[in-house]
Amino acid sequence: MSFAQIVALLATGAGYTVLVTLACIATGLLTGLGIALLGRLRLRGLGWLLRAYTYVFRGVPVLALLFLVFFGLPGIGFNVPPLLAMMLSLGLVTGAYLAEVFRGAFEAVDPNEIMAAEAMGMRRRQILLAIEMPQMLRFSVPGMLNEFTTVLKYSPFAYTVGLPDIMKQAMALSATTLRGLEIYLAVGLLYFAIYKSLQFLVRGIERYFYVPGFTRL
Amino acid sequence: MALLEVSGLVKEFDGKPVLNGVDLSLEEGQVKVIMGPSGCGKSTLLRCINRLVEPTSGRILFRGEDVTRPDTDVRALRQRIGFVFQHFALYRHLSALDNIKLGLRKLRRMSDAEATDRACHELRRMDMEEHRDKYPAQLSGGQKQRVAIARALAMDPAVLFFDEPTSALDPRMAREVVALINQLFMDNVTMLCVTHDVFLARYISDRILFLDHGQVRAEGDVEQLLDAHDDPQIRAFFGPGTRAR
Ligand SMILES: Nc1ncnc2c1ncn2[C@@H]1O[C@H](COP(=O)(O)OP(=O)(O)OP(=O)(O)O)[C@@H](O)[C@H]1O
Ligand SMILES: [Mg+2]
Repeated sequence: MSFAQIVALLATGAGYTVLVTLACIATGLLTGLGIALLGRLRLRGLGWLLRAYTYVFRGVPVLALLFLVFFGLPGIGFNVPPLLAMMLSLGLVTGAYLAEVFRGAFEAVDPNEIMAAEAMGMRRRQILLAIEMPQMLRFSVPGMLNEFTTVLKYSPFAYTVGLPDIMKQAMALSATTLRGLEIYLAVGLLYFAIYKSLQFLVRGIERYFYVPGFTRL
Repeated sequence: MALLEVSGLVKEFDGKPVLNGVDLSLEEGQVKVIMGPSGCGKSTLLRCINRLVEPTSGRILFRGEDVTRPDTDVRALRQRIGFVFQHFALYRHLSALDNIKLGLRKLRRMSDAEATDRACHELRRMDMEEHRDKYPAQLSGGQKQRVAIARALAMDPAVLFFDEPTSALDPRMAREVVALINQLFMDNVTMLCVTHDVFLARYISDRILFLDHGQVRAEGDVEQLLDAHDDPQIRAFFGPGTRAR
C-alpha cells in the first residue's frame, strides 16, 4: 500500500472530521454569541447565570463532558446520538470560550459611537445589533480562528463515541497494517490540510466584510 | 413659545454639583453659543437636555412639554434633537452614506431607496456627496464632521446641538466646518452650540452664554460678551478679541 493510498483511505474519514468540527463551531458560535449579547444587555438577574455558564464550561474537560452526555444521559432515559453529543460537549465548551472572546471584543467598541446612537434615539437592542455587534465580530476574527482551531484539534474525541472520523480510520488501518508511522504522518497532513482550509475560509469571510480602518485586536 | 426652556437645572455627580441652577431659553430659529472654562459643565448641560444624563432637579420644557418627567418618551425627545460631537462619533463600520441611512432606516422606517435619497440630499448640502462610499477612516477630520452634521440633519431635528464641533480640527478644517454651520445659521436652523472657538462664536451666534461653575454668569450678544465686558473674569477668559482656549 502506497502512502498516497493511505491518505486516500483516511480521507474517507475527513468528511466526518469536518462535519464534527463545523457542527461544534456552529454550536459554539450560537451559544457564545447568545451569551455575549445577553451579557452586553446587562439584563437584571441574568448576569450570574451567564457567568456560571462560562465558569463551568471552561473548567470541565471536554472528554469528561462528552462521556457524561453520551454514556451518562442514557442512564436517565436520554439517548443522545454521537454528533449531538459532540455538539453538547465540545460545542458548548467552545461557546463558553467564544463568549469570552466576544465580551473582550465588545469592549473595543468606541463608547462615543454608542452614545451618538443613543443621542439619535435608538433603542439599546438596535444599537447592539446594528453598531456594536458588526464591529465586535470584526475585532474577534483572530480569537475566533483560535477557538475554531481548538475545535478541530479536539474533534478526534468523536471516535470515542463511534463516529468514523480520520482518527477512527487511522486506528483501524494501523491495527491491520502495523504501519503506524506512515499512517499517523498522513493523519497529521490531513488535519493540517483541514486547518488550512478553515483558515482560508475565515480569511475569505473576513476579507468580504473588510472595512478600512479596522485593526485586529 | 420658546422651543426650549430650561430653568433651575441642577446636576450633581456623587453629591458634587456640576450644574447649579442653569436657566436657558432657545427660540425657534435662534442660535445660542455656550462658552466657558473647561469642566464648567457645558457638555453635561447638553446631555441633560436630551436625557443622556439624568438631571438631579430642575425643569426642561421642550415645545412646552416637560421632558424631565418620568413618563417622558426619551427616545422621541432625542429624535427631535440632532447631536454633533467633538470627536465625530461616526459609526466606523459604515460608509458615510450608511452612517446617515441607519437612523432613517431604523427610526424613521424609510425604505432603502427613500433613505438613500434623503442621505444623498444631506450629503450634497454638506458638499460631501462624492465621498458617500468612503468609510470614516478614509475621511479627514473636517469631512467626518460634515458627515456627522449631515447625519444629524437627516433626521429633521427641531434643534441641533453641537458639542465643540471644531475642537478636534486643525484651523483650516475648522473654518470649513464653521462655514457650513454658518450656512445652517442662514437657513434658520435652530442651534445650541458649545464651543471654545471664538471664530465660530462670532460667525454664527445671536447670543452667547457664559457658563461658569455650573451657572450662567452672563448672557449677551457677541459684542457685549466677546469684546468689552464689565466682569473682569469674563474679559480674562475671552482675552482681547482673540481665540480663547
Ligand atoms: N459621568 C460623570 N461622572 C462624574 N463626573 C462627571 C461625569 N461627567 C462629567 N463629570 C464632571 O462634571 C464636570 C463637568 O463636565 P463637562 O464634561 O460637562 O464639562 P465641559 O464644560 O464640557 O468641559 P470641556 O470644556 O472640557 O468639555 C467635570 O468636572 C467632570 O469631571
Ligand atoms: Mg465638554
